Amino acid sequence: MGIRFAMTLLCLLARDLDARPISYSGASTLMAFSNDIKNSVYYHYSPTYKYSLGVEFVRDKFQKKNYASLRFTSLLNRKNTQHSQRNLYFQSGISFDEPHNRFYGIQGDWETRRWYSGFNFKKLDYKGVNYTEQFYQFGVAPYIGEYGDLHSWIMIKSRKNSFESNWSTYPVLKFFKGNALIELGYSKKTQWDAHIMYRF
Amino acid sequence: MRRIYSLFLLVSLHAWADSNRDEIDHIHTNHAQEKFVDGETLEIDSQRFEKFIEGLSNCQIAIISVKGMVCDFCARGIEKTFKRDSSAIKVDVDLSNGKVLIAFAKDIKIDVNGIKEKILANGQNATDLKVLGI
Repeated sequence: MGIRFAMTLLCLLARDLDARPISYSGASTLMAFSNDIKNSVYYHYSPTYKYSLGVEFVRDKFQKKNYASLRFTSLLNRKNTQHSQRNLYFQSGISFDEPHNRFYGIQGDWETRRWYSGFNFKKLDYKGVNYTEQFYQFGVAPYIGEYGDLHSWIMIKSRKNSFESNWSTYPVLKFFKGNALIELGYSKKTQWDAHIMYRF
Repeated sequence: MRRIYSLFLLVSLHAWADSNRDEIDHIHTNHAQEKFVDGETLEIDSQRFEKFIEGLSNCQIAIISVKGMVCDFCARGIEKTFKRDSSAIKVDVDLSNGKVLIAFAKDIKIDVNGIKEKILANGQNATDLKVLGI
Protein backbone atom coordinates (compact mmCIF):
# COMPACT_ATOMS: atom_id res chain seq x y z
CA MET A 1 0.00 0.00 0.00
CA GLY A 2 1.54 3.31 -1.05
CA ILE A 3 2.33 5.89 1.55
CA ARG A 4 0.11 8.46 -0.18
CA PHE A 5 -2.81 6.04 -0.20
CA ALA A 6 -2.24 5.25 3.49
CA MET A 7 -2.04 8.92 4.46
CA THR A 8 -5.17 9.78 2.47
CA LEU A 9 -6.95 6.97 4.24
CA LEU A 10 -5.77 8.27 7.59
CA CYS A 11 -7.15 11.64 6.59
CA LEU A 12 -10.53 10.11 6.00
CA LEU A 13 -10.33 8.08 9.18
CA ALA A 14 -9.26 10.95 11.38
CA ARG A 15 -12.89 11.74 11.85
CA ASP A 16 -12.44 14.57 14.18
CA LEU A 17 -14.05 15.39 17.42
CA ASP A 18 -17.72 14.98 16.65
CA ALA A 19 -20.09 17.39 18.31
CA ARG A 20 -23.86 17.25 18.01
CA PRO A 21 -24.41 16.21 14.37
CA ILE A 22 -27.92 17.69 14.15
CA SER A 23 -29.07 21.06 15.42
CA TYR A 24 -32.50 22.37 16.33
CA SER A 25 -35.05 23.05 13.58
CA GLY A 26 -34.00 25.71 11.12
CA ALA A 27 -30.50 26.09 12.53
CA SER A 28 -27.17 26.04 10.74
CA THR A 29 -23.85 24.88 12.09
CA LEU A 30 -20.41 25.80 10.84
CA MET A 31 -17.45 23.71 11.95
CA ALA A 32 -13.75 23.99 11.30
CA PHE A 33 -11.28 21.26 12.07
CA SER A 34 -7.53 21.15 11.95
CA ASN A 35 -4.86 18.61 12.75
CA ASP A 36 -1.43 17.69 11.38
CA ILE A 37 -2.80 16.04 8.22
CA LYS A 38 -5.86 18.03 7.23
CA ASN A 39 -7.94 21.16 7.58
CA SER A 40 -11.64 20.98 6.97
CA VAL A 41 -14.73 23.14 7.02
CA TYR A 42 -18.11 21.53 7.46
CA TYR A 43 -21.45 23.31 7.19
CA HIS A 44 -24.75 21.62 7.94
CA TYR A 45 -28.35 22.73 8.04
CA SER A 46 -31.11 21.05 10.04
CA PRO A 47 -34.58 21.51 8.50
CA THR A 48 -35.94 19.63 11.51
CA TYR A 49 -34.31 18.22 14.64
CA LYS A 50 -34.47 14.80 12.99
CA TYR A 51 -31.93 15.24 10.22
CA SER A 52 -29.22 17.47 8.82
CA LEU A 53 -27.66 17.96 5.40
CA GLY A 54 -24.21 19.35 4.93
CA VAL A 55 -21.14 19.82 2.82
CA GLU A 56 -17.58 19.35 3.93
CA PHE A 57 -14.51 20.84 2.27
CA VAL A 58 -11.19 19.24 3.07
CA ARG A 59 -7.64 20.41 2.50
CA ASP A 60 -5.42 17.33 2.56
CA LYS A 61 -2.11 18.70 3.89
CA PHE A 62 -0.12 15.61 2.90
CA GLN A 63 -1.29 15.25 -0.70
CA LYS A 64 -1.88 18.99 -1.07
CA LYS A 65 -5.27 18.19 -2.54
CA ASN A 66 -8.75 19.61 -1.94
CA TYR A 67 -11.93 17.60 -2.02
CA ALA A 68 -15.55 17.99 -0.96
CA SER A 69 -18.27 15.65 0.23
CA LEU A 70 -21.99 15.70 0.86
CA ARG A 71 -23.09 14.54 4.32
CA PHE A 72 -26.43 13.38 5.68
CA THR A 73 -27.23 12.65 9.32
CA SER A 74 -30.50 11.31 10.67
CA LEU A 75 -31.73 11.01 14.25
CA LEU A 76 -32.89 7.41 14.65
CA ASN A 77 -33.95 7.62 18.26
CA ARG A 78 -34.04 10.14 21.08
CA LYS A 79 -35.02 9.69 24.70
CA ASN A 80 -35.56 12.81 26.77
CA THR A 81 -35.86 12.67 30.54
CA GLN A 82 -35.89 15.45 33.12
CA HIS A 83 -32.12 15.36 33.56
CA SER A 84 -30.76 13.49 30.56
CA GLN A 85 -30.90 13.00 26.82
CA ARG A 86 -29.96 9.93 24.82
CA ASN A 87 -29.52 9.96 21.04
CA LEU A 88 -28.82 7.50 18.28
CA TYR A 89 -27.86 8.81 14.83
CA PHE A 90 -27.25 7.40 11.38
CA GLN A 91 -24.58 9.28 9.49
CA SER A 92 -23.29 9.10 5.94
CA GLY A 93 -21.15 10.94 3.46
CA ILE A 94 -20.28 10.72 -0.21
CA SER A 95 -17.54 12.43 -2.18
CA PHE A 96 -18.64 14.85 -4.90
CA ASP A 97 -15.68 13.97 -7.12
CA GLU A 98 -15.58 10.23 -6.64
CA PRO A 99 -18.96 8.78 -5.56
CA HIS A 100 -17.41 5.40 -4.71
CA ASN A 101 -15.59 7.15 -1.84
CA ARG A 102 -18.19 7.16 0.93
CA PHE A 103 -18.89 6.33 4.55
CA TYR A 104 -21.83 5.42 6.74
CA GLY A 105 -22.23 4.54 10.38
CA ILE A 106 -24.00 5.07 13.66
CA GLN A 107 -23.28 7.46 16.47
CA GLY A 108 -24.82 7.54 19.93
CA ASP A 109 -24.60 9.63 23.05
CA TRP A 110 -26.10 9.95 26.48
CA GLU A 111 -25.61 13.07 28.52
CA THR A 112 -26.70 14.88 31.61
CA ARG A 113 -25.47 18.29 32.66
CA ARG A 114 -22.68 16.54 34.56
CA TRP A 115 -21.84 13.36 32.61
CA TYR A 116 -21.33 12.47 28.98
CA SER A 117 -20.78 9.20 27.15
CA GLY A 118 -20.76 8.58 23.44
CA PHE A 119 -19.71 6.16 20.75
CA ASN A 120 -19.30 6.10 17.00
CA PHE A 121 -18.95 3.24 14.56
CA LYS A 122 -18.25 4.01 10.93
CA LYS A 123 -17.62 2.01 7.76
CA LEU A 124 -15.67 3.69 5.01
CA ASP A 125 -15.15 2.75 1.38
CA TYR A 126 -12.14 4.36 -0.22
CA LYS A 127 -11.16 3.36 -3.75
CA GLY A 128 -12.99 0.06 -3.32
CA VAL A 129 -11.30 -0.83 -0.03
CA ASN A 130 -13.46 -1.15 3.09
CA TYR A 131 -12.35 0.14 6.48
CA THR A 132 -13.97 0.65 9.85
CA GLU A 133 -13.44 3.16 12.58
CA GLN A 134 -14.89 3.31 16.06
CA PHE A 135 -14.53 5.45 19.14
CA TYR A 136 -15.86 5.72 22.66
CA GLN A 137 -15.85 8.88 24.69
CA PHE A 138 -16.55 9.66 28.34
CA GLY A 139 -16.70 13.08 29.87
CA VAL A 140 -17.40 14.98 33.03
CA ALA A 141 -18.23 18.62 33.61
CA PRO A 142 -16.11 19.84 36.54
CA TYR A 143 -18.77 22.44 37.39
CA ILE A 144 -22.37 23.07 36.35
CA GLY A 145 -22.73 26.43 34.68
CA GLU A 146 -25.90 28.42 34.37
CA TYR A 147 -27.47 29.18 31.00
CA GLY A 148 -25.14 31.51 29.09
CA ASP A 149 -22.06 30.72 31.20
CA LEU A 150 -18.86 29.20 29.89
CA HIS A 151 -19.35 25.42 30.04
CA SER A 152 -16.36 23.07 30.25
CA TRP A 153 -15.93 19.34 29.79
CA ILE A 154 -13.00 17.08 30.48
CA MET A 155 -13.15 13.98 28.32
CA ILE A 156 -11.31 10.79 27.53
CA LYS A 157 -11.60 9.39 24.03
CA SER A 158 -10.54 5.96 22.78
CA ARG A 159 -10.46 5.23 19.10
CA LYS A 160 -9.39 2.44 16.80
CA ASN A 161 -9.52 1.83 13.08
CA SER A 162 -8.77 -1.10 10.81
CA PHE A 163 -5.25 0.20 10.28
CA GLU A 164 -4.27 -0.08 13.90
CA SER A 165 -4.06 -3.07 16.18
CA ASN A 166 -4.25 -1.02 19.38
CA TRP A 167 -6.70 1.50 20.74
CA SER A 168 -5.52 5.07 20.89
CA THR A 169 -6.68 6.90 24.02
CA TYR A 170 -6.26 10.60 24.58
CA PRO A 171 -7.76 13.53 26.50
CA VAL A 172 -10.18 16.02 24.99
CA LEU A 173 -11.16 19.36 26.46
CA LYS A 174 -14.41 20.96 25.37
CA PHE A 175 -15.56 24.51 26.09
CA PHE A 176 -18.69 26.23 24.92
CA LYS A 177 -20.40 29.51 25.48
CA GLY A 178 -23.34 31.00 23.67
CA ASN A 179 -23.36 29.74 20.09
CA ALA A 180 -19.69 28.78 19.99
CA LEU A 181 -17.84 25.62 20.95
CA ILE A 182 -14.20 24.63 20.88
CA GLU A 183 -12.73 21.16 21.38
CA LEU A 184 -9.07 20.40 21.78
CA GLY A 185 -7.64 16.91 21.72
CA TYR A 186 -4.08 15.74 22.11
CA SER A 187 -2.43 12.45 21.35
CA LYS A 188 1.23 11.58 20.90
CA LYS A 189 0.46 10.14 17.49
CA THR A 190 -1.49 12.97 15.89
CA GLN A 191 -0.45 15.82 18.20
CA TRP A 192 -3.09 18.54 18.55
CA ASP A 193 -6.58 18.41 17.07
CA ALA A 194 -8.66 21.57 17.16
CA HIS A 195 -12.34 21.75 16.41
CA ILE A 196 -14.34 24.98 16.40
CA MET A 197 -18.09 25.13 15.95
CA TYR A 198 -20.57 27.97 15.61
CA ARG A 199 -24.31 27.47 15.57
CA PHE A 200 -26.71 30.04 14.20
CA MET B 1 -0.93 9.29 29.92
CA ARG B 2 -1.21 7.82 33.43
CA ARG B 3 -1.28 11.39 34.80
CA ILE B 4 -4.16 12.23 32.45
CA TYR B 5 -6.17 9.21 33.63
CA SER B 6 -5.48 10.17 37.25
CA LEU B 7 -6.61 13.75 36.61
CA PHE B 8 -9.76 12.54 34.83
CA LEU B 9 -10.51 10.20 37.75
CA LEU B 10 -9.92 12.98 40.26
CA VAL B 11 -12.21 15.41 38.43
CA SER B 12 -14.86 12.67 38.07
CA LEU B 13 -14.79 11.94 41.80
CA HIS B 14 -15.00 15.63 42.60
CA ALA B 15 -17.88 16.02 40.12
CA TRP B 16 -19.66 13.03 41.62
CA ALA B 17 -19.38 14.51 45.11
CA ASP B 18 -20.44 17.88 43.75
CA SER B 19 -23.49 16.41 41.99
CA ASN B 20 -24.66 14.94 45.31
CA ARG B 21 -24.26 18.36 46.89
CA ASP B 22 -26.14 19.94 43.95
CA GLU B 23 -29.09 17.66 44.63
CA ILE B 24 -29.21 18.66 48.31
CA ASP B 25 -28.95 22.36 47.40
CA HIS B 26 -31.60 21.88 44.76
CA ILE B 27 -34.01 20.57 47.36
CA HIS B 28 -33.33 23.16 50.05
CA THR B 29 -32.67 26.48 48.39
CA ASN B 30 -34.57 28.86 46.17
CA HIS B 31 -37.17 26.28 45.48
CA ALA B 32 -40.82 26.79 46.14
CA GLN B 33 -43.73 24.53 45.58
CA GLU B 34 -46.69 26.70 44.81
CA LYS B 35 -50.10 25.21 45.48
CA PHE B 36 -53.09 26.42 43.51
CA VAL B 37 -56.66 26.56 44.80
CA ASP B 38 -57.55 23.55 42.66
CA GLY B 39 -54.90 21.51 44.50
CA GLU B 40 -52.38 21.44 41.65
CA THR B 41 -48.77 22.11 42.51
CA LEU B 42 -46.03 23.89 40.61
CA GLU B 43 -42.32 23.66 41.37
CA ILE B 44 -40.53 26.88 40.56
CA ASP B 45 -37.34 28.66 41.49
CA SER B 46 -38.97 31.52 43.38
CA GLN B 47 -35.99 33.90 43.17
CA ARG B 48 -35.72 33.37 39.45
CA PHE B 49 -39.45 33.85 38.99
CA GLU B 50 -39.40 37.10 41.00
CA LYS B 51 -36.53 38.36 38.84
CA PHE B 52 -38.37 37.37 35.67
CA ILE B 53 -41.55 39.29 36.55
CA GLU B 54 -39.68 42.44 37.58
CA GLY B 55 -41.06 45.32 35.56
CA LEU B 56 -43.91 43.22 34.15
CA SER B 57 -47.54 43.83 34.91
CA ASN B 58 -50.88 42.84 33.47
CA CYS B 59 -49.32 39.70 32.00
CA GLN B 60 -49.77 35.97 31.85
CA ILE B 61 -46.72 33.85 32.57
CA ALA B 62 -46.56 30.44 30.95
CA ILE B 63 -44.33 28.09 32.96
CA ILE B 64 -43.36 25.10 30.88
CA SER B 65 -41.60 22.00 32.19
CA VAL B 66 -39.26 20.62 29.55
CA LYS B 67 -37.61 17.21 29.36
CA GLY B 68 -34.29 16.75 27.57
CA MET B 69 -32.99 20.28 28.02
CA VAL B 70 -29.52 19.22 29.17
CA CYS B 71 -27.18 21.71 27.55
CA ASP B 72 -26.88 25.35 26.60
CA PHE B 73 -27.38 24.58 22.90
CA CYS B 74 -30.77 22.92 23.55
CA ALA B 75 -31.83 25.84 25.71
CA ARG B 76 -30.61 28.37 23.18
CA GLY B 77 -32.77 26.79 20.47
CA ILE B 78 -35.85 27.09 22.65
CA GLU B 79 -35.06 30.68 23.57
CA LYS B 80 -34.53 31.65 19.91
CA THR B 81 -37.79 29.98 18.89
CA PHE B 82 -39.89 31.91 21.40
CA LYS B 83 -38.05 35.19 20.91
CA ARG B 84 -39.20 35.05 17.29
CA ASP B 85 -42.81 34.84 18.54
CA SER B 86 -44.13 38.41 18.44
CA SER B 87 -46.75 37.67 21.11
CA ALA B 88 -44.08 36.72 23.68
CA ILE B 89 -43.03 39.75 25.74
CA LYS B 90 -40.18 38.07 27.63
CA VAL B 91 -38.54 34.65 27.62
CA ASP B 92 -36.36 32.99 30.23
CA VAL B 93 -34.81 29.53 30.15
CA ASP B 94 -34.01 27.90 33.47
CA LEU B 95 -31.59 25.18 32.44
CA SER B 96 -31.02 23.95 36.00
CA ASN B 97 -34.68 23.17 36.63
CA GLY B 98 -35.79 22.36 33.09
CA LYS B 99 -38.28 25.23 32.94
CA VAL B 100 -39.10 27.82 30.31
CA LEU B 101 -40.90 31.01 31.34
CA ILE B 102 -42.73 33.07 28.74
CA ALA B 103 -44.60 36.30 29.45
CA PHE B 104 -47.62 37.11 27.28
CA ALA B 105 -49.99 40.06 27.37
CA LYS B 106 -53.11 39.50 29.46
CA ASP B 107 -55.50 39.69 26.50
CA ILE B 108 -53.70 37.02 24.42
CA LYS B 109 -55.07 33.51 24.21
CA ILE B 110 -52.09 31.25 24.86
CA ASP B 111 -51.79 28.47 22.32
CA VAL B 112 -50.79 25.61 24.63
CA ASN B 113 -50.47 23.05 21.84
CA GLY B 114 -48.50 25.53 19.71
CA ILE B 115 -45.99 25.98 22.55
CA LYS B 116 -45.64 22.22 23.00
CA GLU B 117 -45.17 21.74 19.26
CA LYS B 118 -42.45 24.41 19.14
CA ILE B 119 -40.57 22.68 21.94
CA LEU B 120 -40.95 19.32 20.22
CA ALA B 121 -39.68 20.87 16.96
CA ASN B 122 -36.60 21.78 18.94
CA GLY B 123 -36.07 18.17 19.96
CA GLN B 124 -37.29 18.35 23.56
CA ASN B 125 -40.59 17.43 25.23
CA ALA B 126 -42.90 19.80 27.08
CA THR B 127 -44.40 17.75 29.89
CA ASP B 128 -46.39 20.37 31.74
CA LEU B 129 -47.60 23.91 31.16
CA LYS B 130 -49.14 26.20 33.73
CA VAL B 131 -50.25 29.80 33.31
CA LEU B 132 -50.08 32.36 36.11
CA GLY B 133 -51.59 35.82 35.92
CA ILE B 134 -49.69 38.78 37.40
